Amino acid sequence: MRLSDLLSEETIVVSLSHKDKQGVIEELLNLAMKTGKVQDRAVALKAVLDREQLMSTGLERGVAVPHAKTKSAMDLAMALGISKEGLDFQSADGKPSHLFFFLLAPETAAGPNVKVLAQIARLTSDPSFCKSLREAASPKEALEIIKDAE
Amino acid sequence: MQTKGPIKRILLYVDGSEECIAAAQFGIALARSIGAEIRAIYVVNVTLLKELIKARIFVKIEQMDYEQDLEQDGERYLNYVAKLGRAKGIEIKTELIKGVVNKEVVQKIDEWDVDLLIMGELDPILSRTNTYHDEAELVIRKAKCSVLIVKNAEKVEQIYNAIEVT
Repeated sequence: MRLSDLLSEETIVVSLSHKDKQGVIEELLNLAMKTGKVQDRAVALKAVLDREQLMSTGLERGVAVPHAKTKSAMDLAMALGISKEGLDFQSADGKPSHLFFFLLAPETAAGPNVKVLAQIARLTSDPSFCKSLREAASPKEALEIIKDAE
Repeated sequence: MQTKGPIKRILLYVDGSEECIAAAQFGIALARSIGAEIRAIYVVNVTLLKELIKARIFVKIEQMDYEQDLEQDGERYLNYVAKLGRAKGIEIKTELIKGVVNKEVVQKIDEWDVDLLIMGELDPILSRTNTYHDEAELVIRKAKCSVLIVKNAEKVEQIYNAIEVT
């Protein structure tokens, strides 16, 4: 399963409106809800926040991967948020986060879930990919950038 | 079962996909036709989990949790494959291993002197980088025996259903 198969123009926002961690997570969750694969918003939100409690999913190079497995997800549900100016997501390198790959997975889909997360890790290890994605002017353009990189 | 033909040992690579179930059905039909022994293995991909730890996407406790999930998935699939075999009078020995998927499969091929490896249809190419990491593709490239890729699940199911158990 490609990231571009999991994402759509509807589940990508190129200018996140929230500037705080909780707000961004909720905004991304709202996008993921549009997939129709998330049954209970509150349960899903708790799963993501519980995961963030263990350690922030704010990585390096401006990338964050908030994720969780939850019984509320019927299938893999993904969203992508972009913040041009960046925001504090308690990242590993202390720098602002710009790209937010949000992933919810059912509790029984460990294999596909792990594969998609690994794919995100591989794609975002390329600085030029991250730079292009940060500069995307529209969800359509962001999706094209991902498709090109895949 | 008494081995009848030159293909004596078949190894079935179970990876937790729908495609591997079709591969199992085909393998059972083939093993029954030619009188070969058949074994099935599932490898918990610990490399991928380590990769996610390295990328800081996973924390240790999460890695352990997912490893357990993958193990349970593997057991579930292996049990199902064994059940498919029993339903057609074929005993399938199963084994769950943890490690680097392609290395473990290749090692089993050597250990058991496998004549034929059977696996399900490959995923579409995910990305240029993923081609390098795709375990199924690495298995095909590194296997030192013939590899049979099973396609068309619908047709395979018909073949499987048509097996008569005496």
